[in-house]
Amino acid sequence: MSRLWPAESLAFEESVQRAMESTGAIEFARACERDPTQRSLRLAGLFSDLGLDELAVDEGEVEAAAAALAARAAGRVIAPWPLVQRLTASIAAVKGVTAVYLTSGSPRRVDHLDVAGPSIAIDVLSGASHSLVPAGEVAYMPLDPFGVPCQLGAPVDTPAGAASTHIVLSAFWALGAIETAVSASSVYAVERFQFGRPIGSFGAVQWRLADLSVARSALLELAGFTLAKLCDGTVTLADALALRLQMLESCELVLENAHQVFGAIGLCDEHDLSVIDRHLQSLLRRPLGKTQTVHALSERVTAEGFDLLYPVRPHRGAERSIVLHAAASSGT
Amino acid sequence: MTQQPMTFVEGPEVRELRVRLREIIANDLPEGFRGAFVDGLEGQRTANGFCRRLGEENLLTLSWPREFGGAEASIWEQTALREEMWAHHEPRGAQYMGLNWVGPTIMKFGTPEQREQHLPAIANGESIWCQGFSEPGAGSDLASLRLQAKSVGEGEWRLSGQKIWTSYASFADWCFLTGRTGAGERGREGITVFLIPMDQPGVKVRPIESMLGPHHLNEVFFDDVVATSAEVLGSVNHGWEVIRFVLSHERVGIARYARSERLLALLADHLPSDSTGDGAALRARHARMLVRARAARLMNYRAVAATTSSEIPDGVSAARLLTTTLDQEVATLALDILGEEGLYSDEFAPLDGWIEDAWRYARSATIASGTSEIQRMLIARAMTSASKR
Repeated sequence: MSRLWPAESLAFEESVQRAMESTGAIEFARACERDPTQRSLRLAGLFSDLGLDELAVDEGEVEAAAAALAARAAGRVIAPWPLVQRLTASIAAVKGVTAVYLTSGSPRRVDHLDVAGPSIAIDVLSGASHSLVPAGEVAYMPLDPFGVPCQLGAPVDTPAGAASTHIVLSAFWALGAIETAVSASSVYAVERFQFGRPIGSFGAVQWRLADLSVARSALLELAGFTLAKLCDGTVTLADALALRLQMLESCELVLENAHQVFGAIGLCDEHDLSVIDRHLQSLLRRPLGKTQTVHALSERVTAEGFDLLYPVRPHRGAERSIVLHAAASSGT
Repeated sequence: MTQQPMTFVEGPEVRELRVRLREIIANDLPEGFRGAFVDGLEGQRTANGFCRRLGEENLLTLSWPREFGGAEASIWEQTALREEMWAHHEPRGAQYMGLNWVGPTIMKFGTPEQREQHLPAIANGESIWCQGFSEPGAGSDLASLRLQAKSVGEGEWRLSGQKIWTSYASFADWCFLTGRTGAGERGREGITVFLIPMDQPGVKVRPIESMLGPHHLNEVFFDDVVATSAEVLGSVNHGWEVIRFVLSHERVGIARYARSERLLALLADHLPSDSTGDGAALRARHARMLVRARAARLMNYRAVAATTSSEIPDGVSAARLLTTTLDQEVATLALDILGEEGLYSDEFAPLDGWIEDAWRYARSATIASGTSEIQRMLIARAMTSASKR
C-alpha cells in the first residue's frame, strides 16, 4: 500500500466526517450519555446511508483504507456506535453475525452490544470464539458510558484475520480521537493568555505540545504500516499487538498532556476533552490494558518473531538465532 | 495532512542494495569493529580501506548527481545506505560528513575551482572534513557565532576565534568554517563560510577527553589565520544561506534507529528465559522498544519522503525526537539486560564491548545536531503557527 491514501478512500472519509458533524459532533456523544436510544435513531441509518454496511475490509486496499479512514473520522467525534466491531464483521471469514468483539477471559461488559446485532467474541489471548449476547441494558458509568452487560454463548469457529482487523480499525478510531485532542490543544495554546502571553509561548507548554504531536505521529505511522500489512496478508498477531501498544501509549500521553495544557477547563464535561478522555477509556482497557498488552506482545514475539530491519527471529528452544547479515526483509 | 507518495515495501533496487552492503560489511569489516574513532590509527585505517572498497563498487557517492561522479540513487537507496552504515558503526568513519553534506554544499555553492579541488578528493575518500559551526557562546543558537573574519585588503581576511565540539578535527584536512565578516556581532547577517585547510599556521586543535571516546570532541583555535576569496563558499556576508542548506541536509540525520534495531535483535538472545519477575519485566521492556523502533523508523521515512519540500516540516523534528530517545532507552535496556558485564570494555565484554560503547555514545543523542529541547520548540512552534492560520 502506498502512503498516498487512495483518493476514493479520502473522499469517503470526508463524507463520513461531514455526516458526523451533522449529528452535532462530540455534542452528540454527550447527548447519547443522557439518552442512549439516540444512537440507533440517528446513527444506524446514517452509517447505512453512507455505505458503511456494504464495505468489506478485506476486499482490497481501497476498501480497507476507506474503512480505516471512516473509523478515524468517527473517532474524531467519538461517535457512539460499534463501528469497529461492525466493520470487522465485514471480512469474508466472519459468517452470520454483524459485529465482532475482542475480549479477554469472560467479559462482563462490552461497548454498544445492545445496538450491535448478532455478535461473536474472540478471546485475544486464547483465540477461542463464542457467540456474545447482551445480559442487560446499557448502564451509564462515567468511564464506561455505553457498556452493556454481556455473556458468552456457544463456541464458534474463530474467523481468520478478524482479531488483527479489529485491532487495526480500533487504532484508527483512537487516532481520530487523539487528533481532535491534539488540534484543540494547539488552538488553546494560542488563544489562552496568561501573564500577558499565549500559554503556547511558554517552554513548559511547548514541551507538552511537542510530546502530543510525536505521540500522534507515531500512532499514525504505525497504524498505516499495520494496515498495509493487513492488506498484503503479512500481518501477524505480534504486529497487531505492537500497534495496540502504540495506541495505548499514544492515547495515554496525549490525554495526560492535553489535560495539562487545558488546565481545569478540560476537566469539565461541557468541554470536549473530558468527553473524549472518558469515552476512550473502555477502548484502552478492553480487551487488554497496557501491561497485559505488552506481555502478550512479548509472548508473541517469542513465538513468531518481529519484523524489523534486523528481524528478531522466533524462539526455537536453545536454537534462537538472529540473522544479522541475511538478505533484507521485504516487510519494511 | 500532507500526503507523501511512498510505500511500506522496499523496491527491488533497495533490497538488492541492502544485500550488497551486508555482504561487503560481512567480508570487509574486521570482527568486533566498533567504529573508526578508537585510540590509535587502526580504526581510521579500517575506515579508509572500507571507503576504498565502497568506491570500487561505486557506492561511496551513491547520493551524488551523475555530473559529479555519483550514482544519483533514489532517496530510499540513500536511506538504506545510511541505515546499513550506521547499524554497523559507520565504517566510513569521518568520511560520511564529506559525502553527506560537504560535497553537496560545494556542488550547490562552490565555484568551478572549488568543485574541482574538493569534490574528487571527497569522492575518492582522500580528504576528511570537520564542521566549524559551534562556539562556546553559540551552540543551539548558531547565529550567535563570534569568530571574527577581519578584512585586511581586497579578498583577504584574518580569522580569529574559537570553535568547539568539533568532531574529527584532530585528523581533519579541511574545516567547513563559519565566521563573522559583516558589521555587528550577532544575527544571521554578516556571516561567511570559509573552506579552510587545517594544516596552516595559526590553526590549533585541542582534543577534549569525553565519555564518547577519542576524536569525537575537540576545540579548534584560529589565531590570525589567513583566508582568501578563493576559500569563501557562496557570497561574503550571506553565509546563512549556505548554513541553511547544510542544516537541510543534516535534518534527517544519521539513521540511529537502524543501530537500535540491530542491537535489539542481538539482545533478544540475552533475555532471561524466566517468565516472571525480572525476566518478564525485561522482556516487556524489550517488546516496548521493538514497537518504538518500528515507529521511529516509520517516522524517519516520513521525514525522508518530505525532503523535497523547501520548509523544514515538523515531522523531521518529531522523528529525531523519537529516534534519539529510542537510542538512549535501548542503550539503557541493554545495560539492564546484561547487568554488570555490560559495563566491560575488555576482552570479556559481551557483544564485543558494544553495550558500554552504545550507552556512552547514546548520552549525546539528545544533544548533538540540535538538542531535544530545540526539536520540541520547533515542533510546538509549527503547531501553534498552524493554529493561528
